[in-house]
Amino acid sequence: MTPAPETGELLEHLFRQQAGRMVAHLTRLLGPGNLSLAEETVQEAMLRALQTWPYQGLPDNPAGWLFRVAHNAAIDAVRRNQVLGEKTEAIVAELRRASIVAPSHPEVEEQLRDDELRMIFMCCHPEISRDASVALSLKTVGGFSVREIARAFLADDATIAQRLVRARRQIREQRLTLDMPDGRELKGRLDSVLDVLYFMFNEGYAVHEGEELIRQDLCLEALRLGRLVASSSIAEPRVHALVALMALQTARLPARVDEAGDLVLLEDQDRGRWDPQLISLGFHHFDRSMAGDEVSEYHVQAAIAATHARASVAAPLDWPLILHLYDQLLAINPSPVVELNRAVAVAKVRGVAEALAAIAPLERDPKLRDYYLLLAVRGHLLLELGRRAEAAASFRAALDCSCSEPERRFLRRKIEECVATA
Amino acid sequence: MSQYMLLLYDTPAAVQHFRSMSPEEMQKATEKYMAWAQKPFTKDSQRLAEDAGRVIRSENGKPRTTDGPYSETKEILGGYYTIEAANYDEAVKLSMTHPHLEHGGTIEIRQVWGS
Repeated sequence: MTPAPETGELLEHLFRQQAGRMVAHLTRLLGPGNLSLAEETVQEAMLRALQTWPYQGLPDNPAGWLFRVAHNAAIDAVRRNQVLGEKTEAIVAELRRASIVAPSHPEVEEQLRDDELRMIFMCCHPEISRDASVALSLKTVGGFSVREIARAFLADDATIAQRLVRARRQIREQRLTLDMPDGRELKGRLDSVLDVLYFMFNEGYAVHEGEELIRQDLCLEALRLGRLVASSSIAEPRVHALVALMALQTARLPARVDEAGDLVLLEDQDRGRWDPQLISLGFHHFDRSMAGDEVSEYHVQAAIAATHARASVAAPLDWPLILHLYDQLLAINPSPVVELNRAVAVAKVRGVAEALAAIAPLERDPKLRDYYLLLAVRGHLLLELGRRAEAAASFRAALDCSCSEPERRFLRRKIEECVATA
Repeated sequence: MSQYMLLLYDTPAAVQHFRSMSPEEMQKATEKYMAWAQKPFTKDSQRLAEDAGRVIRSENGKPRTTDGPYSETKEILGGYYTIEAANYDEAVKLSMTHPHLEHGGTIEIRQVWGS
């Protein structure tokens, strides 16, 4: 035992990250049906740390300490609960064997990464709904609590708890396993893993008032899990494309709001505040996504993010390329939201009038009826044309749609701009 | 300066509360506890094992050993600190900053005799 640093501070997110890998690891040893038991056991290990470290000092290897104590707690729980029947002694022996090796040992680390990977793949089983997959991944491998997941998704605790209960029951009743699928099934499962990670990321990336930290954690967790998949042997180019996309977008998070908490549009952002490490991580994976002929939606999205990241004062943003990429994206995934984004590029390349014409059909699309961004983009284009009264009307209509408080402040600023210069 | 012993009891409510916390919250709580333990006025600290312990009582002049008072429904002594303070008032004031109290734990303060 060594004395703790003055402040008592531990490695950032140590508990959360260790909790995730320990749950994954213990679930493999105890069997997926005993996922809850694995989670309780890990909770017990953290409680022991809380009750011991303040008196005895920080152990030399905190992660190793938690790891060993969690295994011992699992052995106690297995003996006490007798849920494993005749397999009890064999599993106890396995737990005992696993408890004496340090989690930092390269081989063990490799095994733990594999455990986490299998866990994500099980959580994203097609039998489980996407909402439940996201919650379950965050709870088990992410080390998030029900309350934290609820806060990140702006949902209430009971809803999330219910999703988790249902997902765990599905794992038990449908006997889902931690075995990696192979062949065609693997490809499909990989797609559903990427879909879940992308959804998790977008939830965290969406603009909401308050709770910024937990939402940023959501982005970082999606990125971490993406990197975990990308570092495995089953990674395909589109995995790298998604990681690139997430890294490049996360890099921009610090610049997205100003000190007053107000939104800053991409083109007005201070590039000096973009995270350089995440940018280079993004480009690293973007390069790796180029292997092979596959062009997925993630590839095109990553290319758009990379084009933005590459632009600088010296080399302004290549709008024709952005427009070309949106055309490509539309071909892969025709969606009104993509068309709306494309319209912004159309305005830059072919003029505002053509952009207005491009979004006209979207205004009749029922899917975009309550979509404030459509009205905000329309207002923005009208303002550029000097049609201030119409622009103001469009921004006001946007305010009537559901949007977050920072977005509302942004819209009010735009209305003032229309009125002030009218 | 006198020495005071702080006896920290884990109440069932506190343990229940800890069990409902997320890893992130557990870490924050652990850090707070550890920061307190690092304060210059703390001289010694020990965590006690979680088993029930043993109690020896003398019955009709004969010592008899039983298991300790551990029970799920009682406060149990989790550990102790020795701190330095000028008097009880100061010892209480210092103890008031201990995070154990935020989580529903109990602290008993006793002056070490003659210190």
